[in-house]
Amino acid sequence: MDRRKIDVVLSTFLIIVSVIILTNDNLAEGGAESDLGIMFLPRIVAGFIIIFSATIAIQSFLKLSRGAALEGQELITTDGFSGIFLYVGIFVGYWLAVPHLGFIVTTPLVMLGVAYLLGGRNWVPIIAMSVITPVLIYCGSREYLRVYLPTWSL
Amino acid sequence: MFDNILSGFSAILAVGPILGIIAGVVIGITFGAIPGISCIMAIAIMLPMTFYVDPIIGITMLLAVYKAGIYGGSISAILINTPGAAASFLTAQDGHALTKAGKAGKALDMSLFASVSGEMLATLVLILVAAPISAISLQAGPIEKVFLLLFAFTVIGSMAGESIPRGLLSCCLGMLFAMVGMDSITGSSRFTFGIDELIGGFTFTPMLIGILVMPEVINVIRRRKVPHHELAITRSPNPADNRISFGEYKKVFRTILKSSGIGTFIGALPGLGSSTAAFIAYGEGKRTSKNPEKYGKGSVEGIAAAESANNAVCGSSMIPMLTLSIPGDDVAALLMGAFLIHGLTPGPMIFFEHTETIYAIFAGFLITDLFLLGIARSGFKFFVKMASLKRYFIFPCVTVFAFTGAFTAGQNMNDILVLIAFTVVGYGMRIVGLNPAVFIIGFILTPFLEQNLDQAFAIVGDDYGRFFASPFSWVFIALSAFFVYSSMRMKRKASKVPAPAQQEPA
Repeated sequence: MDRRKIDVVLSTFLIIVSVIILTNDNLAEGGAESDLGIMFLPRIVAGFIIIFSATIAIQSFLKLSRGAALEGQELITTDGFSGIFLYVGIFVGYWLAVPHLGFIVTTPLVMLGVAYLLGGRNWVPIIAMSVITPVLIYCGSREYLRVYLPTWSL
Repeated sequence: MFDNILSGFSAILAVGPILGIIAGVVIGITFGAIPGISCIMAIAIMLPMTFYVDPIIGITMLLAVYKAGIYGGSISAILINTPGAAASFLTAQDGHALTKAGKAGKALDMSLFASVSGEMLATLVLILVAAPISAISLQAGPIEKVFLLLFAFTVIGSMAGESIPRGLLSCCLGMLFAMVGMDSITGSSRFTFGIDELIGGFTFTPMLIGILVMPEVINVIRRRKVPHHELAITRSPNPADNRISFGEYKKVFRTILKSSGIGTFIGALPGLGSSTAAFIAYGEGKRTSKNPEKYGKGSVEGIAAAESANNAVCGSSMIPMLTLSIPGDDVAALLMGAFLIHGLTPGPMIFFEHTETIYAIFAGFLITDLFLLGIARSGFKFFVKMASLKRYFIFPCVTVFAFTGAFTAGQNMNDILVLIAFTVVGYGMRIVGLNPAVFIIGFILTPFLEQNLDQAFAIVGDDYGRFFASPFSWVFIALSAFFVYSSMRMKRKASKVPAPAQQEPA
């Protein structure tokens, strides 16, 4: 993947967001008046974002239009990206399931999923770890940190 | 000051802090030695667990993780030529060459002694220098602080990023995210778009874990098909090859002292970090060595130079953070967050408001070195075994710890969503060459900037010339311009050197 193309798209997006911050008066609400004004600093920062994004976008666009060869980190290798999507998917599933199934039920499944994703097939120790770790964390959090992790609520 | 140091030692020499230090050292070495896990990940994961203990225990434990984690990185660098961080690259060159020659014990010993020596020297400098600097910086009013913070943003953004615009853009994005939620001065809510959950802003801990820790997990997931390397210490039949004698240590002591000085100086400057210190000290060591040809091919002196400088940065990077509220690198930013969570606001006032706590932390910093020396020396085999664990045992646990850590911050499931969102943002930033550490520094410092800017405007009124009336203002403007110029020169020079090989972005 060519990072210069991403640079151009991302910079354009950031410039649009910055222009909205500079021009829209409805992004802050309520509160008292101050010498500075609530949108003073965000607008200064938005101005700088436009400058730096434009610099990056112009540099990348010029290289693209010249057809310059990719250098160093401009080439993004996409090998293994499927694993990233699976991992983020597992994490989103974890977030959705924990409030209903509870920490102790969901966590072993998530740990098994991540271990499988990483190539783990040594099932006995993996299952033991996936069961023991959540129980220890749950009890440790409750007893020592007074943090009550979610429990089964269905 | 002497009385404060003594009272610091009396506070730290209790069961709780000592157990915290021991736990921190063991966790730090273990995490540091595991290829793919850096000490920053260890600190971020440990951070939520310290919320509920005394700041002296919690902070010294995190600092012990930091120090031991930096040292732990050299274990995998020496044994399997896998530097956990860029700073261990040079250690890997010489250390792995010694390992291949059957002298792993010698390399590990040298690395440990040099690390501890460098850290101790830097800690002593921190203790002696921090309070006087803070007394000077107390003279600074809101106007001076505004220029100081702008200087910090400029230096960190321009020195730490892949390129100057990318570094500064990372900083600006961090600043923008810090402005989400209710403003502490006016009570206005900004960028909340009617979502009540955003009024409090983004919770720091999940954001931090998402930006700095989880992308490292994702990197391991991405490279899951790369074969696992098991760590093992090679033993030579000649006992002299398995350890460092006092004579050998004495021979390299000058190099250690000089490199520690370089590391301490570089660490105290924001934005440069341990890699720069290691490379400069290594270069200087090679230049003045009697055997420069051995550097890179198994030189004990080379390991001493790189490791002492690399570790000296640990102590001295606390100087700008504790005296000026400027975290110089990602770990300092993380530790600054830890200080804030524990109710200690880094800055000159910390020496007056929390005298006993801060000197206890300093004492803990020194004592950590002794524990590091003892624990690492006696437990090489254990740490090597721990670090050899297969990644499918380690990373499921890291995932669960990250989840629990994010939840612990506010006992709120929305924080997990923040964690997931910033995991994606953090990984995306690495791919496009933005610097997550600079993003975090921008995020942490923006509330201070806004508060001081508001006070400064109240002071100057319509007479904007008063912004430039103080010599401090001109000094910081000149320093900012100088750092941007020198960073541009450094990057131009670096771009003229042909790239060694194409690297992956993250």
